[in-house]
Amino acid sequence: MNPRASICVAIYRRLASAYPHEFRMLYGEDLDRIGEDAIPEVRRRYGVPGLVRLLADIAIRLPATYFTEVRQDIVYALRKLAQSPGFTAVAVLSLAIGIGMCSVVLSECQSMEGPPPGVRDPATLATFVWTTVSYPYFERYRDQRQVVASATACLGLVPFAVAFHADRGAHAERFYGHLVSPEYFTTLGVTPAAGRFFSPETEKPGMAPVVVISDRFWRKHLGADPLAVGHTLRLNGSMATIVGIGPKDFLGVWPGNPADLFVPVTCAGSRAPELSGDPLHRPDRDIFRVVFRLAAGVKMSTAEAALDAVTRNLDRENGVQHDRDRKGRVVRLMPAGTVMYITPEQSALIDTFDVVLWALVLSLVCANLASLLLARGSQRRREIAIRLSVGASRPRLVRQFLTESVMLSFAGGLAGIVLAYGLADAISSVSVPSPTPMALNCRPDLHVLAITLAIALAAGIVFGLTPALASVRADIGLTLKEGALSPLRGYRRFGLRNLFVVGQMAASLMLLLVTWYVVAGFLHTEGLDPGFETAHLNLISLDPVRDGYTAEATAALLTGLPDELSRVNGVRSAALTDSEPFASLAGVRANTRVSAPSGDRKSGQVLQSAFRERIGASYFATLGSPLLAGREFDRRDQQSDELPAKTGIPAIVNQTAARELFGGEDPIGRPIREGELNYTVVGLTRDVPPGFLTAKTVATVFVPLTTTAFRENPAQRSTILVRGTLGRDTLSAVRRELASLHPDLTVFDVHTMREDLDRMNAFIEWDSAIYVILGLFALLLASIGLGGVTAYAVVRRRKEIGIRMALGASSLQVRGLVLREGTALVVVGSALGLGGGFALWRALAAFSDVLARSFSKPADDALFFIGAPLVLASLAMLACYLPARRATEIDPVSALREE
Amino acid sequence: MVRDPADFLPLHNNWFHILLSLVGADQHGYGIMQEVLERTNGTVRLWPATLYGSLKRLISDGLIEESDERPVAELDDARRRYYRLTGLGRTVLDLECERLQSMVRMMQRKRKQEAY
Repeated sequence: MNPRASICVAIYRRLASAYPHEFRMLYGEDLDRIGEDAIPEVRRRYGVPGLVRLLADIAIRLPATYFTEVRQDIVYALRKLAQSPGFTAVAVLSLAIGIGMCSVVLSECQSMEGPPPGVRDPATLATFVWTTVSYPYFERYRDQRQVVASATACLGLVPFAVAFHADRGAHAERFYGHLVSPEYFTTLGVTPAAGRFFSPETEKPGMAPVVVISDRFWRKHLGADPLAVGHTLRLNGSMATIVGIGPKDFLGVWPGNPADLFVPVTCAGSRAPELSGDPLHRPDRDIFRVVFRLAAGVKMSTAEAALDAVTRNLDRENGVQHDRDRKGRVVRLMPAGTVMYITPEQSALIDTFDVVLWALVLSLVCANLASLLLARGSQRRREIAIRLSVGASRPRLVRQFLTESVMLSFAGGLAGIVLAYGLADAISSVSVPSPTPMALNCRPDLHVLAITLAIALAAGIVFGLTPALASVRADIGLTLKEGALSPLRGYRRFGLRNLFVVGQMAASLMLLLVTWYVVAGFLHTEGLDPGFETAHLNLISLDPVRDGYTAEATAALLTGLPDELSRVNGVRSAALTDSEPFASLAGVRANTRVSAPSGDRKSGQVLQSAFRERIGASYFATLGSPLLAGREFDRRDQQSDELPAKTGIPAIVNQTAARELFGGEDPIGRPIREGELNYTVVGLTRDVPPGFLTAKTVATVFVPLTTTAFRENPAQRSTILVRGTLGRDTLSAVRRELASLHPDLTVFDVHTMREDLDRMNAFIEWDSAIYVILGLFALLLASIGLGGVTAYAVVRRRKEIGIRMALGASSLQVRGLVLREGTALVVVGSALGLGGGFALWRALAAFSDVLARSFSKPADDALFFIGAPLVLASLAMLACYLPARRATEIDPVSALREE
Repeated sequence: MVRDPADFLPLHNNWFHILLSLVGADQHGYGIMQEVLERTNGTVRLWPATLYGSLKRLISDGLIEESDERPVAELDDARRRYYRLTGLGRTVLDLECERLQSMVRMMQRKRKQEAY
């Protein structure tokens, strides 16, 4: 043969031999022969191009043939899956829920700890843990060029009263923003979408007031006006020019608390009450949060050491004493490039909880899928044996199983992704009850989604393939003779599948315990007594300083306001406070140090961390929480800061504070010291939980809202509590009265106490619902898994059961036989789950005050610790019982004849 | 499930030639290939892989089937498979012929009209 033709024949043979097994079984020989016969003839007729054409033909047809087979596999897989809709639905659903939930759990975490949008290289940003500093300190930090590339000081969120029209008296709305040093945007690496940002050269004291607005503000409130830069806004009563618009999605350095306005500290003195009293030059006003951009290659620890040394020098220069931590540091650094300001401790809690939850749910889903697929695989061994015996190739069969697994996993994964986006949307739309804006922008994190998806898919494929691989290795003759019932190689009594069931039981019990734990914590919260009468209590917030009132005018207005409002028809009483009672989830108040000075018998008692609330006259009467002893503040007490210090300003303490300061003794008339001022206790009040999720009462000292406090306005708002009457729309009447008496006053956050509580209850209920669903899902998965395995065991022992029944075994005995195996698994799984759940429970309690509360009711716990495994076990036993009952229905004659 | 013969129309060119070469006599793969080549004066060549791909499809669609009848011993090659038309295959081929004829007629009518 011609050498070219021989080469061509060799290549042709090689390609023809690569055809799929089934094709070759039918046409292999013919294909070989026809090629060998045709090649010399083609060479004669067409020469080398003909040979190339012939080889090209077979080379192209080869993959096409494989593709046809894959298509057949897919059609067959679809048919097979449709034949067992129960199995398919359970597998797809469990995958979907698992993938969806897992992705969202970790993505929620990302939505708090992820990088803030619009900020360049967030990994090199750092800030102090908790510590706020004064501006002179900041200026010194900024100059540490060897460790810090740049730094910025910011204050906020700070409220601004914004009017869009220049004329005085125009209606103003309240927006939040940051007061920033001029380096803010350059440090964060943000570039303006329009106009310019601040710089130390342009933003000097005495310059014309300017403001940078966020893209969101520009779109929502300025109608995306292309000529917005250069326009003026009335900020806190005076004009400021918009000089720049931030890039899309940028809402400040910690967008978890979104900022829409950015005002430079250098020229904001007159407009932001926070900056009154010249804090830029006072080393004692440590109110600024500093964000550092670390110099290239500088580690966080290096920068921390350097900044700590600087702080100590500054402290020495200014004669200030700061507490040191365990490492002897005065300041501690942490990453600042996160959506929310989260300390390393908080972050550890969130991460641990979420990762544990993620791992539990995912392992549950994988275990469930594994036991489902393994059981199904074993049932199909007869089918495999028949296909092998009629000539199917082993790789083809494995491929067939792989196709089914991939399709199943794919469908589950797809549904999971849809679910993840739906859940994330639902989470994002929940409004978090909080006095300052909070945004929980939860988007499924693509990395998390990819990892979860990959694990779930891998589990589906591996466990789908395992029985196929085992079966194709098995002896066909034996399998056909024994039907589907012969034991698979490697599956012993305590084999892989049983291990999965035990693991599944344990994981679902743990999940159930943990989720119950959280829900119980929430439920206890919901039943929480706010400690005062909530009906007909209305709340209205004011901030006159930001409406352009002078300090004196503000003091005068607020002093007279409760009386003015008391005269409104329907109002029973009205009182002022600087912090709403029971207003937020955590209920954080101004933290202060209170001491009972010496001279007292229990001298020197110091409360390092107590809450301080400033309240006006008739506060407790309006709140409907009568004092336990003594009197409450009256109008005279509001002038008390103008009295000589030695007489002592009146103060009211709650039970916890009284107990901690004076033991069991009567607190009335005792002197206490808070901050720089001396007080005399004039009243004792009941303990009231400070916030929704913090039932633990905190020692609280109530001091009178004085004219100085009105002037300084540290709480950025004053709230008026108005107690109305049944059947009257007090709130509208009060608003009308306010509008007519003080038309230039911006009124915000107007609501009833009931609305507040409802909003918080809704939030809690929503959160609980998620955990309840998670727990139920775990229960469902575990039961399905267990039921599947028991059902499989029954099928496997059909012949044995038949023989036993033929020999006279009663149906009770047969049932017992089947249930025994299931019971063993349930007991082992429950024991493991209980132990694990308890450990996890303990770990969580150590982390969180909210969760610890549900732990503090031992009776409930004991009930639950016995109840949960009981419920789970009985469900599991039911799942076992159904196939066991079916086993007794086996007709011994047909079971024996079948083989 | 019996498929409607009309579903196969218009018939793929290769299929048409394969079916045509099986009219009157059973053939093996190489025979079909040679027959088509000769009948079309070398213009249509069914390359081996294409031919067997088509044969597999024609069998699974029920247009042809494997034949049990072998030729006389001296002409028979035991290693080769022989194929023959099924009833469905014959019907499909007839329908395709009719379709082609009607198209030719259509064209001729058009030509005549142009000539006037």
